[in-house]
Amino acid sequence: MARWRCPSTRKSEPIDHSVPGERLDESASPREWAVRCEGVSVNFGAVRALHNVCLALEQGRIHALVGQNGAGKTTLARVLAGLQMPDIGEVHILGRPIQGGNVRAAQAAGLAMVHQHFSLPPSFSVAEALELTATKGGGAPIYRRRELERRWLAEVAGSCNVSSLSTRIRDLPVETRQSLEIVRALASDARVLLLDEPTALLTPSATDSLFDRLQILRDTGVTVLVVLHKLREVAAIAETVSVLRDGEMALGPVETATTPQGLISDAIIGEGHYESADVAGQAVATGVGRRTHLLMEEVSSKDSAFERGLKNVNLRIDGGETVGIAGVEGNGQRSLVSAVAGLTRIEGGSIRIGESEAAASSPARRRMLGLRLVPFDRNTEGVSRSASLWLNQSALRLIGRRQGDSPIISTRRYREHARKALERWKVRYESVTQPAGSLSGGNIQRLILSRELSDGTEVLVAAQPTRGLDFAATEFVRRSLGELRSAGAGILLVSSDLDELFELSDRLLVMLGGEVVARFVPPYDRRAVGDAMTGARR
Amino acid sequence: MEQILATTLRSAAPLALVALAGVFAFRAGIFHLGLEGLMITGAFVSVAVGDATGSVAVAILAATAVCMALSVLFWLVIEPLRANVIIAGLGLTSIGLGGTAFALAAVYDTRGSIRTDIALPRPVRGVNEGFGVIFSELSLLVWITPLIVFLAWVTLRRSRFGLRLAAVGEYPFAARSVGINPSVMRLKALLIAGALCALGGAELSVGALSSFTENMTAGRGFIAFVAVIFGAWHPIGAALAGLFFGFAEAVGIQSQINISESVPREFVLMIPYVLTIFAVWLGGLRRRRSLEAEAGYAELREPD
Repeated sequence: MARWRCPSTRKSEPIDHSVPGERLDESASPREWAVRCEGVSVNFGAVRALHNVCLALEQGRIHALVGQNGAGKTTLARVLAGLQMPDIGEVHILGRPIQGGNVRAAQAAGLAMVHQHFSLPPSFSVAEALELTATKGGGAPIYRRRELERRWLAEVAGSCNVSSLSTRIRDLPVETRQSLEIVRALASDARVLLLDEPTALLTPSATDSLFDRLQILRDTGVTVLVVLHKLREVAAIAETVSVLRDGEMALGPVETATTPQGLISDAIIGEGHYESADVAGQAVATGVGRRTHLLMEEVSSKDSAFERGLKNVNLRIDGGETVGIAGVEGNGQRSLVSAVAGLTRIEGGSIRIGESEAAASSPARRRMLGLRLVPFDRNTEGVSRSASLWLNQSALRLIGRRQGDSPIISTRRYREHARKALERWKVRYESVTQPAGSLSGGNIQRLILSRELSDGTEVLVAAQPTRGLDFAATEFVRRSLGELRSAGAGILLVSSDLDELFELSDRLLVMLGGEVVARFVPPYDRRAVGDAMTGARR
Repeated sequence: MEQILATTLRSAAPLALVALAGVFAFRAGIFHLGLEGLMITGAFVSVAVGDATGSVAVAILAATAVCMALSVLFWLVIEPLRANVIIAGLGLTSIGLGGTAFALAAVYDTRGSIRTDIALPRPVRGVNEGFGVIFSELSLLVWITPLIVFLAWVTLRRSRFGLRLAAVGEYPFAARSVGINPSVMRLKALLIAGALCALGGAELSVGALSSFTENMTAGRGFIAFVAVIFGAWHPIGAALAGLFFGFAEAVGIQSQINISESVPREFVLMIPYVLTIFAVWLGGLRRRRSLEAEAGYAELREPD
């Protein structure tokens, strides 16, 4: 194993590795590769998820895998873990060949995976969940609950903040659930740990402590491969980085320390550069001069199961203006969006959309008045995953039938319309009849934007519009919001990303405990905003 | 009073056994609406084979084998062929109800019912007086039903097999991610369910009556399914729910005999079914609560 090269020859090398980024010194590794795959391809129907992917990773280091949404990162991770059968290609873990689609073989070879969507059943107790997933035989096929908890206590202690092993998984906070996933992965004496977007749901401080743990693991000789979204995180944790683009290996693995970030981001984006939709042409500029598009006065609402209700919230958004809402999550942002969109009844106060009082109006009526919504959770609130693209795209037009429209739905016309809209918004899809759930996260967000920003937008409520998106998609969304604003619509932007708020907002409101506690105008003082968010006094 | 107790136990045993079958299927994520069909098949096969061979043990084994074979058929339709579980389950019920009626006509050249000489043993035969007399009517299967419930509880709640089954039913991705094949686990659950349905059916025919009547299950398979939901998919809960429905049935039967003519007979016969509807409503209330509790988790779930 002096020098390993991918057996296949690529016709066009998209990035010239030799210039700034230093290629791994392959001859310096006398041991087996921790992970090695050759010519791996996976197709889902007509969609090419992975094409001829070759990857070799050294032992005992932290490797990152990056790429846009839909570039094939999760598919590759699943192939390595034996969950996904590759159409062709070979996978070796620590020198042992893995038969495609065999999870147990991958585990036996020493690989454990922490999934993007956690894999512990929510109704299980902690001890039961660990026992379920344990690969090393813990004991007899029949157990006693107390004995089970005692057996697992030692594994969990110290690495994870669980008060009792009889706690149910669904009652645990996200960070604890993730630490448990890592505990269970390492309980099988894994030598290679694979994490699929572990930071997506974590707060920055939880991310830091995760990275600390990964470094400790690396120091004990475990090889870590982590799928990441943000280059900042790559720089913080990874020793090497590999880039997937459109299912192909676009770069790497290269040393993170010696590779400029620009090179990595070029590899991620490709030659296509940033895409932009022509929003300005579509959004109807109703706001000639400055007209108030949304006015909330003394709005209060009940507490929901998840967070505080609103307390006497006053808010005005004019045309051509973006108002940002900052705040630690759970301080009434969801209540605010629900109140504006008409998803929950408010207890007091008034909400005007354009010229009309809308506090008692149905969500459909508010839509007709020009309200548009990019909801918090695009997968469950933004689209119907099982419905086709064209139905999702035309939902607004189907609800708000204008006078003169035929009551009979012309499927052909709507499909044609959807096709045009999706093309304008650069959604990557196969056919307008495919279900929305088959799209990647970034493309689902584009689909939602293509629907919500179609025409007649007076005020857009955008809740976490870029969360979980890669930076090309993020850039696209931000640009679209900017163009909508220039076209004269009002935008209410709720985000937990302060940089995003600072960049896009004309005014910034901070919510704490369901109240608007502070208002800022540019230039924003990060420290003052942070103090207002946490209620800190200096 | 003693009579009601005896009738309750006798009515509850088949319901509890079939409800356990439903729990096994439910744990694996299968809404098993074929319970009724398997139950009546078990009832018929045990009478027919018992009559032909004269051995009650062979009769029970044959009923179990036939029900397990039908369960394999059910599995083939819903797993490899990916048919809708509800439709396939109702189809299985139709096969059971229609098939037994057809076999009755084909083998015995009769419609209605057949009698047999064989019966399950009754362990407490000797008692002829006092309180014990009511127990002498109970077949062996009624006596061992609590043991079967306990075994089912151990299997589902205290064994690795049970953990895997629950993972498959609740969150198949969790199972797949540790290398468990959900499809194979479902087959195992359905085989166990088939055997339990056969026992339930056998108790109904060779246990309690020594006869088989067309459509003799009279919706008990569906009541057992309700017991599964009412018992919160827990083996002991489902068995207790079965006991409750057995009690309702016993009250219905007893009042047919005792109550004066001022209350219409049909009204009394309605009692178990009305209680079933009530139970479904209660179950629905609880389900709504647990759904709300899970809503926070929903966004983390992988769409399957």
